[in-house]
Amino acid sequence: MRWLNASARHSVLALILAALPAQAERAYITCQNGNALSLFDLDTGQETARWSLPGQPAGIAVGTDAVFTVAPEGKVVRRHTPITGEITAEAHLDGGPTGIALDERRGRVFVSDWYNALVWVLDAADLSVLRILETGAAPAGLAVSDDGRLIASADRDVNQVSLFDAETLALIARISVGIRPYGLRFAPDGRLFVGNVGTNDLSVIDPETAHVIATVPVGERPYGVTFAKGRAFVTNQYANTLSVIDLATLTPVATIETNEYPEGIDTTADGRVIFTNWFDNTVQVLDPDTLEITDSYDTADGPRAFGRFIADH
Amino acid sequence: MKRRHFLAAAVLAALPGIALAHGPSRQKVTLTADVAADPAAVWEAIGNFQDMSWHPAVFSTEGTGGNDIDATRHLVLGQEGGPTIDEVLYKYDAAKMTYSYRITDVLVEVLPVTNYSSHLTVKPRAEGGSTVEWRGAFYRGYPNNDPPPELNDEAAVAAVTGVYQAGLDALVERFGAP
Repeated sequence: MRWLNASARHSVLALILAALPAQAERAYITCQNGNALSLFDLDTGQETARWSLPGQPAGIAVGTDAVFTVAPEGKVVRRHTPITGEITAEAHLDGGPTGIALDERRGRVFVSDWYNALVWVLDAADLSVLRILETGAAPAGLAVSDDGRLIASADRDVNQVSLFDAETLALIARISVGIRPYGLRFAPDGRLFVGNVGTNDLSVIDPETAHVIATVPVGERPYGVTFAKGRAFVTNQYANTLSVIDLATLTPVATIETNEYPEGIDTTADGRVIFTNWFDNTVQVLDPDTLEITDSYDTADGPRAFGRFIADH
Repeated sequence: MKRRHFLAAAVLAALPGIALAHGPSRQKVTLTADVAADPAAVWEAIGNFQDMSWHPAVFSTEGTGGNDIDATRHLVLGQEGGPTIDEVLYKYDAAKMTYSYRITDVLVEVLPVTNYSSHLTVKPRAEGGSTVEWRGAFYRGYPNNDPPPELNDEAAVAAVTGVYQAGLDALVERFGAP
């Protein structure tokens, strides 16, 4: 390669890169007050699309070939094409559709009904209702375990998590947690982390025994949780911080200042932590090794992205 | 102006108890006002959590805890025996001239919101004087679907906007426009 000058080397590199499949990591950000769904290319930091989406969307679940949104004021769940945002199915759900999670293995979408203590099980292809699951009062966040075996709902007003078998949809357990659980997510090791907005802590659940095995303090009003590099990251709405927790010891290791009202949080395939700030309309990017915020992008009004919002394929 | 707002709110119908629940979509309001006085003078007037007498709707303020985190205050509005609001301080930074507080108790007939939190900040203006910024985040007064018009999102935003505008107008009157 010695005979190549610098610009020629770059051209060769560009050709090689162009031949690889696109690996861009994308974030789908529901902007509730602005009635919009924004698409960000996380490699360039560009907002590549902003689609109008009525009904005050907040909930989000991103799959391989479809993106699902929940607009609670419009009482509607929508299925979108990932690149164009085109709506390919729509379900009007009478009640208070709030949280959403996708079971891609079985082609099912789960949507919590805040007002009626239930979870709708929808067909991911056409959003028809397949089943109704009973939860406790005010179910909010929903999560599917990485191994696809379990579905969990945070039943806010009864301070519990409902755990279901993802295959049979049978109830496995109701598990008492802290006060007013809202967001929750399964860690890569299978444990379930639940943020309690009333007690400002996380309940860590062992799903095998269906018991809380630890309670970890976080900041004021925990909203969402994600995992990267052996740590949990929690958005604290009122504190304007992220809590960072070591997954081996379950102890807090750092608190990071954020913009105002951090809410939805997720992790890219290469391990970056991405979160929205509802009040000042930004998305921020955190390096999980240095714990530095590396980027901040402007969004439409009121970004929430309540759910899994990153696609990495 | 402020009084008119609370009077309007006072005619709202009574509703069942709803303390913990909230509607589906959180609202936000940010209002700012520029005044001629420098930030230290403005902060001197509004930076004490235990004294909200700078706001024309507030008849009296009494509380405990000074400006420490978790300090509380009890506001009486309009006149002796008037409607009340209870609040708690959760952030206070005198160096940055900002504090944050939440409402812990208010009737939706007084202010048609739930889960209300707020920040008040004084910043220097490049051209001289100060900018006062007042921000709030809250849910509407009616926590369920299909709210009556006096307790919907628009009513909540209008009410909070009215409170902030009245307070900021009073500061402009007191300190002058820049």
